[in-house]
Amino acid sequence: MKVIKAIYNFFVGDMTILIGVIITMLVLALISYVGALAPLRVATGAILVVAVLVVLTASLYREIRG
Amino acid sequence: MQWAIATAAFLASAVEFVEAFTIVLVVGVTINWRSSLLGAFAAAATLAVIVATLGVALVKWVPINDFRLAVGIILILFGLKWLKKAILRYSGLKALHDEEAIFEERMAEIRARGETIAPRFQPFGVVLSYKAVLLEGLEVAFIVITFGSSISKTASASGILSAAIGATVAGLLVIGAGAIIQAPLTRVPENTLKFIVGTMLTSFGTFWAAEGFGFAWPLSDAFIPILIAIYLLASYALVSWLKQYKRRQLAMTSASNASITTPAQEEVHP
Repeated sequence: MKVIKAIYNFFVGDMTILIGVIITMLVLALISYVGALAPLRVATGAILVVAVLVVLTASLYREIRG
Repeated sequence: MQWAIATAAFLASAVEFVEAFTIVLVVGVTINWRSSLLGAFAAAATLAVIVATLGVALVKWVPINDFRLAVGIILILFGLKWLKKAILRYSGLKALHDEEAIFEERMAEIRARGETIAPRFQPFGVVLSYKAVLLEGLEVAFIVITFGSSISKTASASGILSAAIGATVAGLLVIGAGAIIQAPLTRVPENTLKFIVGTMLTSFGTFWAAEGFGFAWPLSDAFIPILIAIYLLASYALVSWLKQYKRRQLAMTSASNASITTPAQEEVHP
């Protein structure tokens, strides 16, 4: 458990950022590999940038509220 | 020489070296320089082994797109962590990182343990110095390997070399500056560095993660400065928003304090 916590703290140390980035990557993976979502592939870059900014804002919001 | 890679590795490594150097300095001053330097050199040797084995293995056996995706995710995580801290510090919601305060705090901790300056090796000093250099150095190693090997399979050797040169120059500068002034590097604007590096790591991470999904950025590599500009502008907006939030909170607190004190004052002075 200590090792997992140390790795988590080393890489990110913030649950909002971790969960936000994981969800973003899952959404991008769906867009990338599901045929029906192929029209969205041209927007991969834009979706990623917006998602990163949303994750950052959410993490800051959680910090100041909590 | 890949200048963008070398510059990013230089800035990121400089931040880590300042933090590691502060601990090495504390151990050197409070315990002794032998233990401090032994710990630092042992950690540097461990890091060299890690970079040599991990770096080569990653570059040789992992497909470039999968590698870019993994690197992109790691860099986004690192970058957002640093950017968030820097934004909170700029907006005044978190204390600025003060190397001098950390130096004094560590000195007090070591004195409280009853450690004194002695010429012979002290295991506690060696371990403390080793741990600090290894932990901070691991971040440098990650940055060097990931930045260096994410460009392309053919250029990865020169990429790692450029990143390693950037990191080495940063290390030499920090150690040289520290040796000359013999004090924690309080004049290094650490928060500004963290802000710049956080933005760069997030931008490179975004670029490579999207490429890992097979996305081709418009203008190719030339889009990276545009990403940096987008994140800088967004961070600036977030700092302004947090400053306003802090002002509103202060105004609300003082207003509620005033409403609590006024009736009491009226009773005393009717």
